Amino acid sequence: MIDAVERVTGRIRFSQDASLPGMLHAAAVRSVVPHGRIARVDTAAALEVPGVVAVVTGEDLRRLPGLRPVYGPQIEDQPVVALDRVRYVGDIVALVAAETPRAAQEAAALVTVEYEELPAVFDPLDALEPGAPLLHELEPERPHEGTALYFGIRPQFGTNCCNLFRIRRGDVARGFAEADLVLEETFRTPAIQHVAMEPHAALALWEDGRLTVWSGTQTPFNTRQILAGIFGLPVERVRVVVPPMGGSYGCKVFPRIEPQAALLAYVTGRPVKFVLRRDEEFVTLTRHATVVTIRLGLKRDGRITAREVRAYWNTGAYADCGPDVARKGGFGIVGPYRIPNVAVDSRCVYTNLPPAGAFRGYAVTQATWASESMMDLAADALGLDPLEFRLRNLLRDGETFATGETLHDVHFAECLERAAAAIGWEGPQRRELGDGRVRAKGLAVVMKGMTTPSRSEAKVGVDRSGQVTVYSSTVELGQGARTVLAQLAAEALGVPYQQVRVVDPDTDRTPFDNRTTSSRSTYMMGNAVRQAALALRERLLLAAAQRLEVEPADLELVDGNVRVAGAPASALTFGQLVEATGQEELVEHGEFRNQGGLDPDTGQGIASSHWHQGAGAVEVEVDTRTGKVTILHAHASVYAGQVVNWHTAELQNLGCIVFGVGSALFEELVYDQGQLVNPNLSDYLIPSFLDLPERMTHDLIERPGAEIHGLGETALPPIPAAVGNAVARAIGARVTELPLTPERVLRAIRARDGERG
Amino acid sequence: MAEFAVVEPATVDEVLDLLARYGEEAKPVAGGTWLALVLRQGLLWPSLLVSLRRVSGLAGITVDEVGNLRLGAMTRLRSIETSPLVWERLPVVAETYREVANVRVRYQATVGGNLCDADYASDPPALLTALDARVIAVSQRRWRAIPVRDFILGHYQTVLEPDELVTEVVVPALPPDAGAVYVKYRTRSHEDRPCIGVAAVVVPDAEGRLARAEVVVGAVAERPQRLPEVLDAVRGRALDDASIGEVAERYAAGIDPLSDLRGSAWYRSEMIRVFVERALRAARERAQWEGRQP
Repeated sequence: MIDAVERVTGRIRFSQDASLPGMLHAAAVRSVVPHGRIARVDTAAALEVPGVVAVVTGEDLRRLPGLRPVYGPQIEDQPVVALDRVRYVGDIVALVAAETPRAAQEAAALVTVEYEELPAVFDPLDALEPGAPLLHELEPERPHEGTALYFGIRPQFGTNCCNLFRIRRGDVARGFAEADLVLEETFRTPAIQHVAMEPHAALALWEDGRLTVWSGTQTPFNTRQILAGIFGLPVERVRVVVPPMGGSYGCKVFPRIEPQAALLAYVTGRPVKFVLRRDEEFVTLTRHATVVTIRLGLKRDGRITAREVRAYWNTGAYADCGPDVARKGGFGIVGPYRIPNVAVDSRCVYTNLPPAGAFRGYAVTQATWASESMMDLAADALGLDPLEFRLRNLLRDGETFATGETLHDVHFAECLERAAAAIGWEGPQRRELGDGRVRAKGLAVVMKGMTTPSRSEAKVGVDRSGQVTVYSSTVELGQGARTVLAQLAAEALGVPYQQVRVVDPDTDRTPFDNRTTSSRSTYMMGNAVRQAALALRERLLLAAAQRLEVEPADLELVDGNVRVAGAPASALTFGQLVEATGQEELVEHGEFRNQGGLDPDTGQGIASSHWHQGAGAVEVEVDTRTGKVTILHAHASVYAGQVVNWHTAELQNLGCIVFGVGSALFEELVYDQGQLVNPNLSDYLIPSFLDLPERMTHDLIERPGAEIHGLGETALPPIPAAVGNAVARAIGARVTELPLTPERVLRAIRARDGERG
Repeated sequence: MAEFAVVEPATVDEVLDLLARYGEEAKPVAGGTWLALVLRQGLLWPSLLVSLRRVSGLAGITVDEVGNLRLGAMTRLRSIETSPLVWERLPVVAETYREVANVRVRYQATVGGNLCDADYASDPPALLTALDARVIAVSQRRWRAIPVRDFILGHYQTVLEPDELVTEVVVPALPPDAGAVYVKYRTRSHEDRPCIGVAAVVVPDAEGRLARAEVVVGAVAERPQRLPEVLDAVRGRALDDASIGEVAERYAAGIDPLSDLRGSAWYRSEMIRVFVERALRAARERAQWEGRQP
């Protein structure tokens, strides 16, 4: 990996390390009530703290001319600073800029806020009840607040539903009428947090009416656009630079602290840096808590006749990208199965909790928890082996998904069979070991889409010194993006990849890319880089052909030289060829797009230009006296198409399994009346090395000539579902809510015994 | 975080002088793993932090003339878990400290600091109670040895006066035929605090009956739980499955547990039954019963 040594030795410069002379430090005053009207904000004491330069409240923000005080990637519902209302415990009520971080924190603690508390709602189903307190008054035509920016969002005006995504395929009523058996179950997942090692950090600078922000963000271009919107600037007058990040996992998708840093810099006329504390991380973005009810119609022979889904995504106080999460989860929840009649209603719902947004797995972990648990319930009800039941129903190449799109390069069955074989699946069995210990195995399949439509551009250049440079806006979050992009350029140009420079994303300097999300970069940006590098190769070949007076076809590129094949003496260096053109650097451009989109009312169209496919399989041991689950072996099989870098690809699979273990067994944000109970790493735990399964194995499935398939997330969603299925098998009862804490498992065992008794 | 001054005295006398002068305003800092958290959360507002880092003579592991294991208050948990002397004399002590938090915390946290935090969700207090260990506390006024079982009063509260400093923890030796264990049960990550921890010590008599039994349950209530009437009732009896089951039942019934993120009160009651039984079985395994059939 290109920056491995810098990361391990601490020499790498993260956005947290960015600094400028005269820089101020920001701190936030945050709401302590879940929902309330701001009656009074007293900043006098804060302004007296030595070193404090500014305290900005909602009232100040409102008075600033020409500013649009709200923002949001899909619905403009989030104020830069609360204007008149707070909507969750942690909402920003005021911002402080001071000479030192300490003065800023101290002053923030001295700002007193009086609230008139309003009724609050925390559960998405309660939030949809008539008479529930409304978080936002979304209106179709209001210019500044509540504007659905993203095509195809369907807010339900007058309710807390900020997007309703539907799939309608076939006729579910007929499908259920034809069924021999109809099953229904409700599944839940809690909010969890990303816990990236590096917190959110941004530095904002205004210079000659131009805004520059250095930020650890996965979305430089969205951030540029949103900042331009807030400050009423053309996008060209905003520049976003992205240093490498110390992890993100989705928490740095879309602006989160950049508007606030930029506002303080705007007000003070000085550069301002904003870095979140760990406890602030916990109230800044979470993974959606969900409630999903699935109804399944089945024939005795194992065919599925109908599937009806009602899904609720608790998006918290601001929509963020929740509407899109509900959409992606809406089709993800159908599963990669042959089902003629499908109806999905997937609702993204506001509540008075911290905002939820992107999280590694992007809706599919929650969707898979519900849909793959349901598949095991169905197999049990039919008396079929869950492996056999899935194999009978899995989509095959050329078959049609619930969205109406035909799937190609389909490998679900192969992924599942390999995962099952890896853990020695022998059918739905349980093995008692004595002393209340039971072992069993579980399976799950995953289907995950990639952002569609989207676009990636790249430039690849070579200068007079022969240095090859990749200009790409794909951000480096530790996933190894720079390494694979360097490799793809190096491969086309015949240089060692270690010698390729990949510049940090900079909206002034690196070309457009949608964003670094959705496991799309190696495929989308990889193709753009490859295209640019191949164009550059052609140009170098042509230039050399002229100089050497041979046909380009007779030339080869070796170690930064172009030479007549097999004739090292004829070699011209890249540098010589560039110099001969009279230019400083030869640069070629590449672009790669995918096309599609879904009708939001029927869910018909192209959900994803290609699909991330995988399966998980686990063996667990349950101590039935305590309910404690130990994962003995976890395996993930992922369709990779073509692996660019085996080492980082393997680490992605293993990292996904680790995330899956946390989700499966203990990660959960706990709220008491909207107040987060565990906002620190002592009360909110992520897996440590000692929590990992004794055996963690995986497959990367390749096909000669196949496209690259992203794999940053695929192996995560099936893990909790496979663990849930194994536990259900072991104890003869199903836990329908994550995480599978010992207490939940023990209660399920007791409930089972109660029913029998 | 509050405003405070930090001093780094070199001797115990200097520390005691500062504590006598500043009283509640001063707070000794040992490893600081717990104090840093509560300072950051604004739960304590001392104006003076008295660092014990440079104080000589507070760290070390020794065995005294009567065979007591003496752990200096500033001894790091990691030093105990890696001490050949502790493994030789009282392996259960090393085993227990090895279970605390994670290795990074154990390199920093200290024996004395851990007891003085009096955090209910902690491992060593239950074991040290079961082993009848004593805390040595000194001040300019007096020297006293406080049994660990009396030391912790409740949530983050000890009997320590503001001018007193813990210098040592003294753990009596066990008879060679005794069996002692500490069983830690975590419901979340392996680095989590205990949902419950049970320390059990059994000492056989010449007839293979119980000369002594100690069962202390930690992390389920605001201080380690010990039920003397239950322990008295099994003394002199054979440690068979029936008597183990009886102790487990009576502990489960006799303790009113708290609820937290690691388990509800209901769940903890269930786990007291399970883990008292498991701890006693494990202690029975370790004790020497050879040739002493009851």
